[in-house]
Amino acid sequence: MNLLAIETATQACCVGVRTSSGVEIARVVDENRQHTETLTVGMAALIREAGLRTREIDRIVVDRGPGLFTGLRVGIATANAFAQGVGCGMVGVTSLEMLAYGAHEAGVRGTLVSAVDGRRGDVFVQTFELAESVEAIGPPGVATPQDVAAQWSRSGVALTFTGDGVERYRRDFDSVANAGIYTQLVPSMHAALWLGEQASPQMTIEPLYLREADAVANFATRERPQ
Amino acid sequence: MPLVLGIETSCDETAAAVVDGDFHVISSVVESSIDQHRAFGGVVPELAGRAHVTTIGPVIRRTLKEAGLDQHYPSIDGIAVTSGPGLIGSLLVGLSAAKALALAWDVPFVAVNHLEGHLFAPLLEQPDLEWPILTLLVSGGHSLIVLQRSLGQHEVLGETIDDAAGEAYDKIARWLGLGYPGGPEIDRLAQTGTAGALKLPVSMTGSDLDLSFSGLKTAVVRATQKHTEVDLADVAASFQAAVCEQLLRKLRAAMQAHEVKGVALAGGVAANSLLRSGVTQLASEFAVVSHLPTMAMCTDNAAMIAAAGLYRLASSGPSGLDLSANPNWQLADVS
Ligand SMILES: [Zn+2]
Repeated sequence: MNLLAIETATQACCVGVRTSSGVEIARVVDENRQHTETLTVGMAALIREAGLRTREIDRIVVDRGPGLFTGLRVGIATANAFAQGVGCGMVGVTSLEMLAYGAHEAGVRGTLVSAVDGRRGDVFVQTFELAESVEAIGPPGVATPQDVAAQWSRSGVALTFTGDGVERYRRDFDSVANAGIYTQLVPSMHAALWLGEQASPQMTIEPLYLREADAVANFATRERPQ
Repeated sequence: MPLVLGIETSCDETAAAVVDGDFHVISSVVESSIDQHRAFGGVVPELAGRAHVTTIGPVIRRTLKEAGLDQHYPSIDGIAVTSGPGLIGSLLVGLSAAKALALAWDVPFVAVNHLEGHLFAPLLEQPDLEWPILTLLVSGGHSLIVLQRSLGQHEVLGETIDDAAGEAYDKIARWLGLGYPGGPEIDRLAQTGTAGALKLPVSMTGSDLDLSFSGLKTAVVRATQKHTEVDLADVAASFQAAVCEQLLRKLRAAMQAHEVKGVALAGGVAANSLLRSGVTQLASEFAVVSHLPTMAMCTDNAAMIAAAGLYRLASSGPSGLDLSANPNWQLADVS
């Protein structure tokens, strides 16, 4: 199976390809939120480098978030249209699980918290247990880095933090005495390709926002005149 | 005969269309997220962006199906997509889909200016139209008077210096407690009102062809604050008459200054009944042809984008896959 993976939920734009003959190439094509300008160009280059033609792609794997709303939409709109165009299947993986599998691959074991920068002073977080395999302990959520740090300090559990949310709020996460940090700015493309191969394909993928649009949130909570 | 797939996602409409080299519309599908925005009295960019992601795939599938084309390898010769002006988060969805399809099908794609798209709309219903043409392009986001010397050769003669005409309608509708969008609401209410009931200024912004609606908006607010017993239908009729009078006076001045063969209306506000009859009258007065596109062609659609794309592909060539959206792309900067 020939797989193509796309990552646009973070500052970076990454593309990965793995062919049925075992060639695997993954690349960060941009580090500065230029998803629109770099994604399709990067896909075209990588497909060519892997010795494939576009219609030989059998499955497209896409990071469906949580992460940057605009970046997510660029990645998912691209993935959906590409899959529709070539008639291939799709798999959506979350940024948080890509980070967990990336850490696992690098040898991290025990409790791991993936944290993706959610902007507005928040991080998207999920807890995993890394042993022989990777297991999610709870659902993904949104929290302030201060709350996440305080919660894990209180628990006393030895753990590892990873993700760009950890780098963004390094001071808060460094303050947790019982925690180490595995530096990983970009979700692992190798993990995405591996996860994409295991899952059963779908027709389309929807973004995982985890937070409603600001206007809706403000509208719902605003004070109404009596 | 070349076939172009057009894609339009600059505001709240998600649209796709297939148009052939003779500017015949083979299929055209338009979905809108307007219901999600009503409660906010205007388009909420984040909600529009989210809706586009979900809707764009099904809209393109339906468009291809209705054109009798294969879903995976349609015999399409090019893809045209709006890359500005518009809401950045919305534009990027259509642009991403267009690039991905161009890559998947190995066909060229071309970025189209949304306003230039509107200028191509009359051509889709009257392929034999004669140049030059003066176009009044009025919508929720834009108000311009454009001289088209020939296909794709346009010059902006005048432009709003503050609100767009449709924007003024929305603001007044909100002020009067009417629904969103304001255009159809005010137009409907105005049918039963008396236009002269409220004394409103017709802003003329000097002798040039620029337009202005903010003074009129302020005047309506003041007048209705002073006289609380005023009839809403009279306000709607008076406001609508003042908007149309300004638009038509400027259009008349443009026609006096430039000899043309036709006069056209474009944009969502072109659906307005008073404006349509005014332009028809103006055309007969100057003995030129009037081009009043049907509702479906006045409002945002992808057939007009495909049409402009056909022209742009032939005249300027395809765009690069590294192209970004330009939310502030001016019509005067199109070349
Ligand atoms: Zn428009």
